[in-house]
Amino acid sequence: MTDDKDVLRDVWFGRIPTCFTLYQDEITEREAEPYYLLLPRVSYLTLVTDKVKKHFQKVMRQEDISEIWFEYEGTPLKWHYPIGLLFDLLASSSALPWNITVHFKSFPEKDLLHCPSKDVIEAHFMSCVKEADALKHKSQVINEMQKKDHKQLWMGLQNDRFDQFWAINRKLMEYPAEENGFRYIPFRIYQTTTERPFIQKLFRPVSTDGQLHTLGDLLKEVCPSAVAPEVPNTVLPGEAKIEPTFEPSRIAGGRKASLAVKCWASQGPSRVFIARKKFHWFRTKLKQQVFRAGVQKFQL
Amino acid sequence: MEEDEFFGEKTFQHYCAEFIKHSQKIGDGWEWRASKDCSDGYMCKTHFQVKNGTAMSHQGTSAHVQTFLPVEEAVDPPLDDFEVTETTTAAEVIKYEYHVLYSCSYQVPVLYFRASFLDGRPLALKDIWEGVHECYKMRLLQGPWDTITQQEHPILGQPFFVLHPCKTSEFLIPVLKNSRKINRNVNYITSWLSMVGPAVGLNLPLSYATAASQEEGNVSGQDNQRPLI
Repeated sequence: MTDDKDVLRDVWFGRIPTCFTLYQDEITEREAEPYYLLLPRVSYLTLVTDKVKKHFQKVMRQEDISEIWFEYEGTPLKWHYPIGLLFDLLASSSALPWNITVHFKSFPEKDLLHCPSKDVIEAHFMSCVKEADALKHKSQVINEMQKKDHKQLWMGLQNDRFDQFWAINRKLMEYPAEENGFRYIPFRIYQTTTERPFIQKLFRPVSTDGQLHTLGDLLKEVCPSAVAPEVPNTVLPGEAKIEPTFEPSRIAGGRKASLAVKCWASQGPSRVFIARKKFHWFRTKLKQQVFRAGVQKFQL
Repeated sequence: MEEDEFFGEKTFQHYCAEFIKHSQKIGDGWEWRASKDCSDGYMCKTHFQVKNGTAMSHQGTSAHVQTFLPVEEAVDPPLDDFEVTETTTAAEVIKYEYHVLYSCSYQVPVLYFRASFLDGRPLALKDIWEGVHECYKMRLLQGPWDTITQQEHPILGQPFFVLHPCKTSEFLIPVLKNSRKINRNVNYITSWLSMVGPAVGLNLPLSYATAASQEEGNVSGQDNQRPLI
């Protein structure tokens, strides 16, 4: 795991420059200036926007303020999705900074979960971690941990403490030497084109004949519409093949095969860092290929 | 794996189908909804309940639901002014939706539900909580249900309330093990729903139990229904 540390740090410390603007119909006592902030990709909106709230509440009357919520180009932002996921899904093709509108009235009950306190965010985060461990280890690792370990995981995220977080999280990322990987890989695929919020299915890291699965295998199996086959113009008898537009390079070693998923399972980022520097080309190549094939909406 | 036998998704869908067949027989209103891409789906039911107005009921949008009363039991004419004291509001109808989904992570069924007034205003969690009968409140807080929280519906993407599934298999497995021992066929959806449903106002008529025990119980299912006694 130590040689993956630079990738883990890159994922953890990813930031999105954001500009928060108060919704024009909110009632203010004087003009509200926009507020700029670097948002951590791995965190949650309601966890990191206390300063944003305070900034706008300074120019509003108490009676005009109820639960804060955020919106981008008319779409209410689900605070329970990691920030990086929201950005990748909705705004990654727009110029930075990410422009988010802040609301204090007319909470969209049909679209957003309420977030009355930090405890709710903690409960949500812990339930995601537990569900991921149910898939990876039949919940054995998370259940064997003490309450203070769970707390440390949460505090690490809340206070942006990489070492504090990973001191606990590394146990959730291990598997017995005799196994080839986790029981199932925890993943979710989000697309803006579907009504369904995400795709989540059972998927093993190793095939029945012992081959390590790649990201491409996963995509082909659970989200085939996002993988456009490249059809050759002429078909030679005996040679006709359908190949995906990208080459899902085998990621060597059981550990790295699950690195991609590690990132999601433990930190909930939207972008999957496939591997360390020498495999960086793969991620870029994947993105290019996917764009070219016209399935840009696919975001992992 | 051995768990898949009990709680695999195919098994879940089979038992839901059997459950719905019985529901159709007795007009209990359950139906199956497939997801848009048809890869999976869920079982759902909508019903309406009357808020039991009392002298202590509050003004405003909070629904002070005392207990759950099925609509049929409510008196037809609206509450007379003489029946209510100073601060009460008129009887309000609340629409409840119950969805039964399958969790592939925990390999158990999960109950999602939401409630709203007829004008669309949703009920808040504390209103839902107030409507839970006292005897269930204690048990809910102790588990195996843990608690009710608001979560995103995995197929519709909208906010729903959920009873946490992580301990479901703990109380469901003994039920199934025992029934196999005595060679009695059990629809685990019926068993599970009859345990968790009442805590949130969802009751199952007893005929579900007698229907389940009369089924052949072969997992591949049968198309022809045996007549119930």
